[in-house]
Amino acid sequence: MVCVSPIRLRNEAPFTEVVAGHPEFPLLIALKIDVQRRGLNYTRRAMDAVDPARHQIYMWEGVAYPHSMLLRDGTTILAYPQPRDRNPYDVDFLDGRFVLIDGGEVVETVDLWPKPLYYDKKTRSGLPMKEVVSARPQRLDIFASSFCHFAHVDDQGCQFCPLPHHHSQLRETYDLPTRLKSEDVKECIAEALKETGRFTNIHITGGSVIKGHEMLDAELDYYIKLLRAIGELFATPRFPSQLLASPFSEGQLIRLREQTGLGSYTSNIEVLDEARFNWICPGKAHHIGYREWKRRLVRAVEVFGRGNVGTGIVGGVETAPPHGFVSESDALRATLDEAEDLARQGVTTVHTVWAPQKGSKFHDLKTPSLDYFIRLASGLQAIRARHGLSVDFDDYRRCGNHPDSDLARLQ
Amino acid sequence: MTIRLDPDVADLLADTDTIKILATVGADGAPHAVVKQSIHLGEDGNIHYLERLESSVTNKNMVRSIWFNRTVAITLAHGDGRSVQIKGRPVKAHITGELFLRHYRAARAGDPEADLAAVWVIEPQTVTNQNARARREAEAALHPHFIHLDRLARA
Repeated sequence: MVCVSPIRLRNEAPFTEVVAGHPEFPLLIALKIDVQRRGLNYTRRAMDAVDPARHQIYMWEGVAYPHSMLLRDGTTILAYPQPRDRNPYDVDFLDGRFVLIDGGEVVETVDLWPKPLYYDKKTRSGLPMKEVVSARPQRLDIFASSFCHFAHVDDQGCQFCPLPHHHSQLRETYDLPTRLKSEDVKECIAEALKETGRFTNIHITGGSVIKGHEMLDAELDYYIKLLRAIGELFATPRFPSQLLASPFSEGQLIRLREQTGLGSYTSNIEVLDEARFNWICPGKAHHIGYREWKRRLVRAVEVFGRGNVGTGIVGGVETAPPHGFVSESDALRATLDEAEDLARQGVTTVHTVWAPQKGSKFHDLKTPSLDYFIRLASGLQAIRARHGLSVDFDDYRRCGNHPDSDLARLQ
Repeated sequence: MTIRLDPDVADLLADTDTIKILATVGADGAPHAVVKQSIHLGEDGNIHYLERLESSVTNKNMVRSIWFNRTVAITLAHGDGRSVQIKGRPVKAHITGELFLRHYRAARAGDPEADLAAVWVIEPQTVTNQNARARREAEAALHPHFIHLDRLARA
């Protein structure tokens, strides 16, 4: 198999042909992957049917559009509008329903993400709550800090990552602080918890902050303060939650575990191959290093326990030219071998679907094939099952952005 | 083929004395049949049931069914002898949204320990009357050879 090239026009096997080669892989998850990699285009009719009172609206690069969808099995599709040359799926509104269209054919019905009630409210400090704590179908999302040392200080940000750019835009638009205040976040979550049955998990993330007495202490101190404030809202010492942060040292992890009610810990290594990691994530490579990142993940298992520690990879980015794997087979083998090594030591790996975005250095590249992603998702879930690892804190419902952990619904 | 449930079946679904059993199939082909009293007729004409546990065997089998287009079976049995079997396909799992939240609140109002994982929607495809007399009469009509001779002998 030959992987990505910088040419824009696609010459790919059709969806039906690819999925026919994987009869054991759920069609709905394959569709999710394909929509994520190719992107979306909302028709005028669909946009007219969007109800801002009921649906979540999101802004990306100055374009407002519905913030993602649910398939009929409860699977989330987090996807972004993409230009025509990426052959995006259309979302239309026909016979009173939103539908996904590929090549002029309706392929599935979809629901738009419902808007929580707290989205219309403001914090006492005057911030729109929806910009402080956003909502997925069953999760509260806190993007705590738009600052990332790797991107903003060293100019060594991860080459696929549009988030520092995007969140800086959002913060400018809504006059949000670079780093959210814990009292604002706590106030939003308190409001969200009044919506019974609406949320099952709290997810916190932000850019890396390396400064401190020990490297990353400043980032850790901030998260501890934030988590303690959130923890005051719960009657139990621990609450279902996921911190996606930098790879803390063992001592830092112990502080995090002992001083907060955090339920799970994730630190994204992004690429499971040392040479590609060094190229794609230069800041992470410079300050932490690939092998140390892995070591810290394994130590986190001793602190948080098996089934509570994960790492994320940007699936497909390992094939980015010019230094990525040339063949998809080689990329897959390298990635799964490393995921297996981590799983053996209690760390679970999940992947997102790399869809090059404006604002990232890789914005002009193409994703690998659908076949590649099906094999990657199947492979990661098979590893998890083989090692008896759960991914409850990052599954289809708690997150919804990992095709491999969608498959864990059957585990 | 999707069918519309007739009023007799709707009555049976609505009767709180009806025992309702949902049978699903696991990855290994093993059947899994459990009582699910939350099975009811939804406003859309389909059968709905409330899954309380995310990790239950039934929930996993339902996911497998919606992913791979498999059939599930529902048995309704009443003490007065009425009994039907409905075969259908799971077509939707509500894990959020208005319908889900309405059932979540109702479940919590009835049981403070209750949680809700999904409201499953099952599209009915066939209904078979499982009443003993009805089944016997159907067999006699369709398979006259399937009978012991002594039952036909002169007294």
